[in-house]
Amino acid sequence: MSADAAGATQPPYVFSTTDVAVYYGDFRAVRDVNLQIRQHEITAFIGPSGCGKSTMLRCFNRMNDLIPSARVEGAVEYHGVNLYDPQVNAVEVRRRIGMVFQKANPFPKSIYDNVAYGPKLSGVKKKDELDDIVERSLKRAALWDEVKDRLKSSGLGLSGGQQQRLCIARAVAVDPEVLLMDEPCSALDPIATARIEDLMQEIKDEYTIVIVTHNMQQAARVSDRVAFFTTEVNTESDRRTGVLVEYDLTGKIFSTPGDDRTEAYVTGRFG
Amino acid sequence: MDELRKSYHLDLDHARTELALLAARVVEIIPRATAVLLDGDLEGADLLIRGDAEIDAHSVEVEEHCVQILARQAPVASDLRVVLALLKMIAEIERSADLAANICKASRRIYGHDLDPKLRGIIARMGEQAGAIFAAAIEAFQENDAAKAAALDDMDAYLDALQKQFVAAIFESQAAGRIDLQVAVQLAMVARFYERIGDHGVNMGERVLYIVTGKVPDHSKPKRMKIEIGDNLEAVPVVGEAEDS
Repeated sequence: MSADAAGATQPPYVFSTTDVAVYYGDFRAVRDVNLQIRQHEITAFIGPSGCGKSTMLRCFNRMNDLIPSARVEGAVEYHGVNLYDPQVNAVEVRRRIGMVFQKANPFPKSIYDNVAYGPKLSGVKKKDELDDIVERSLKRAALWDEVKDRLKSSGLGLSGGQQQRLCIARAVAVDPEVLLMDEPCSALDPIATARIEDLMQEIKDEYTIVIVTHNMQQAARVSDRVAFFTTEVNTESDRRTGVLVEYDLTGKIFSTPGDDRTEAYVTGRFG
Repeated sequence: MDELRKSYHLDLDHARTELALLAARVVEIIPRATAVLLDGDLEGADLLIRGDAEIDAHSVEVEEHCVQILARQAPVASDLRVVLALLKMIAEIERSADLAANICKASRRIYGHDLDPKLRGIIARMGEQAGAIFAAAIEAFQENDAAKAAALDDMDAYLDALQKQFVAAIFESQAAGRIDLQVAVQLAMVARFYERIGDHGVNMGERVLYIVTGKVPDHSKPKRMKIEIGDNLEAVPVVGEAEDS
């Protein structure tokens, strides 16, 4: 196969990281991360607590900026642009790269206002235009049918799974390219979890998704690629640092992983 | 680091042990089937044929155990490869036990017919080789020994050559009027049964390689050694002659 033919089957990169290390003060949370996130794929970050997977996820939309002591070294490129370039507007970054958190966090507002909040901030004023965005976003989040008759009720009155889908609707309302999901199902029951997982499959043609999950089976079910992180302990300083161990197709990671540490983690021989 | 999911891993080890015990029964019945054939032991034949039902039942139990592990533990990586290999190997073992029973059935059909020493010698050698292949396959499995598993193909080439040699000897014996055509046909089938047991052993070895390396057996390539030895019968010492020299 020629290089061109091989390249044709691979989606382009959305993110590319080079030797990324993230510090909180003088504590190095993760180091030497080199990976590429491909467009319209679902990439899952897995690994034990403290391995740096959420820290890495937060690098992709500069959420670490909000933590005063956090510092990012190395390069995080988004379509070839260094996200941490001083010229880059972090607010614009977060509009293009949305985030869904572990705990659903709707605003204490109506369902409608939760979804319309972002578009309003970015200047959409016409009511019919906002109505369209709200309907389209709630449909994308597979929530429309359940809430269309009570759009004025509080978002906090929804069930946990519905609240999480409302947050996804809120994230997609500003038309982002990427959705970062930090353990989006860890507070949900299996049915609500399955709904979110189905939703991820349905919307991946429009978005690029990076998900951090503690549920390995979830990573196996939903993702195209898996990045396995673990913690390394420096024997001299006794300090822990997260490292990227292996990054490959999901089928490979869960059938024939290339690294013994991945094997030990996915089979539960290490904890 | 602490091991997690201990009871699951013990359960998986238990399934492996069950498979090894199942295979051990086949290792045990191959020489018994050979003895039945050579001694015309009708009682032994009956015992082995009836015993096959027990092996079938045991196979189903191991298979059900694997299904439970798949359903309840969602194994991945090497654990997944072990369960998938077990499911394949159960079929190889169960079929090999059937073939040993078939040897016993053939021995009933030729009961009362004397076989000349050359034929008897090759039968003994085929039985030994088929048993050795099966024993090596199960050792490779228990020890996760890829090198031993890889050697099975060459061991099988020797068995295949013995089979060809045996078929030639059957023709010779039949042409000389020492055995009937019906007996000749039964003996040719017996040779085929041993040869198939060897093939099942080789397949088990391929599954061991899959467990250890993750590589799926590739049947698209010709087996070089088989062709080399298989076409050159002179390379295989004739039983009896080799012992005399």
